[in-house]
Amino acid sequence: MHSAEKKHDFEPKVVAFVCTWCTYAGADLAGTSRMQYPPNVRVLKFPCTGRIDPVFILRAFQKGADGVLVSGCHPGDCHYMAGNFHARRRFAAFRVLLGFVGVDLNRLQFSWVSAAEGGKWVEVVTELTERVRAMGPMREFKELEQEEQWSATLTTPELQQAYESI
Amino acid sequence: MTTINQNCYDSVTEAIRREAAKLLQEQTVAAVVGYVAGRRPGTASPAVAKSAEDAEKLVFSPACVNNLALFLSKAKKGIVPKGKTAIVAKGCDLRALAGLIGESQLNREDLVVIGVACAGVFSAAGERSLPLSDANIAAKCRECTIHTPEGVDVVAGTLPQLPDFDPVEAKELARLEAMTPQERWAFWKEHFSRCIRCMACRQICPFCYCEQCLCDRNRPQAVESSPRPAGNLAWHIVRAMHLAGRCAGCAECERSCPMDIPLNLLNRRMAQELKEQYQYEAGTTPQEKGPLNQYREDDDQSFIK
Repeated sequence: MHSAEKKHDFEPKVVAFVCTWCTYAGADLAGTSRMQYPPNVRVLKFPCTGRIDPVFILRAFQKGADGVLVSGCHPGDCHYMAGNFHARRRFAAFRVLLGFVGVDLNRLQFSWVSAAEGGKWVEVVTELTERVRAMGPMREFKELEQEEQWSATLTTPELQQAYESI
Repeated sequence: MTTINQNCYDSVTEAIRREAAKLLQEQTVAAVVGYVAGRRPGTASPAVAKSAEDAEKLVFSPACVNNLALFLSKAKKGIVPKGKTAIVAKGCDLRALAGLIGESQLNREDLVVIGVACAGVFSAAGERSLPLSDANIAAKCRECTIHTPEGVDVVAGTLPQLPDFDPVEAKELARLEAMTPQERWAFWKEHFSRCIRCMACRQICPFCYCEQCLCDRNRPQAVESSPRPAGNLAWHIVRAMHLAGRCAGCAECERSCPMDIPLNLLNRRMAQELKEQYQYEAGTTPQEKGPLNQYREDDDQSFIK
């Protein structure tokens, strides 16, 4: 029944921040309907898209995500009336800020997936995963994570030696 | 080189002293927040005048760079005595005051605003022994739209004829916008890597009045607190995001930065976006809700699948 798994050189890590009322139920529906989608996505459940702080997205990238998906209820369907309307403005602004700092916005996807749209969930996840796979690993944040900045220079052999022994 | 006439600052000083002395003598206000001359020539520092004698020491000069609205925020409570307060405010400070009133941090009724007809102030690196000119004026003053105060209780001084300045900051913003994401990343990486996390940008900001900053918290730690490039980038993104739709554009963060990181570019970019998208602009009239605290059902969602 399972299609033969294709081997890829690079398996991207995709983090999905989803709202519990719509997208999480939608992903659940995709599962119970036995639809296939890439296992690269890690689903994190939140009460509402309004709860998803932009810091979470930043943190996901910093901790090694290659792509981030944020998904919630369609406008007007929010369980808390207006959570996704507020989130929409916040993410619109945050997206611009990330773009201005130089992050490739193709790695960040927002979507509305309702509890009945198991098929759309599969489509969104597959598309993002394949796009990020084609783009390769998210190098910028990982390299930055490794970097150190020294305000002083190692001018003497003693300092150099001390530094190397750390 | 275009120099600005110094006399206008003297007339402002005179008007501030007169008004401050009157307010303190009549006991209309408990204190006047203003500037006094610094010990070195060409400097000034913020001061709280509590008596008519103190009021005689108040000045206004191109060295009066600070945004005094800061001292009325919750984060700096205890500096200004309780009761009605008068404040000397330049155009950019007025926007900050309006922002704080809009966020219910201040009551307009508890304030006497002495608006200053401000021709401009020195930049952080500008030579202060020379009169204010094209060479040493702050970048924000080059594009100032609010030289003459609006909605204030008293206007101090009159504005001289001002030359047209080259909008350096707007040009820099346009230059960055034209870059590719990789070039922008390299630009910001270079700048943020220098950050020493002294948090001067936070401490000087009138809008950073949270009792506990998100970035000071551990368990869970949202932003790495040591001055490493990764945490620095996160801090500056978080700072810009938390100020989006609130920032008054006083550029104090950039001025106070010891490492010369062009922080106001981030603020400017956010302000530009919020203006284009939601027609929001920081102004001198308090607005009850900022652009990110409200929504419309037909907001743009072209970026959402």
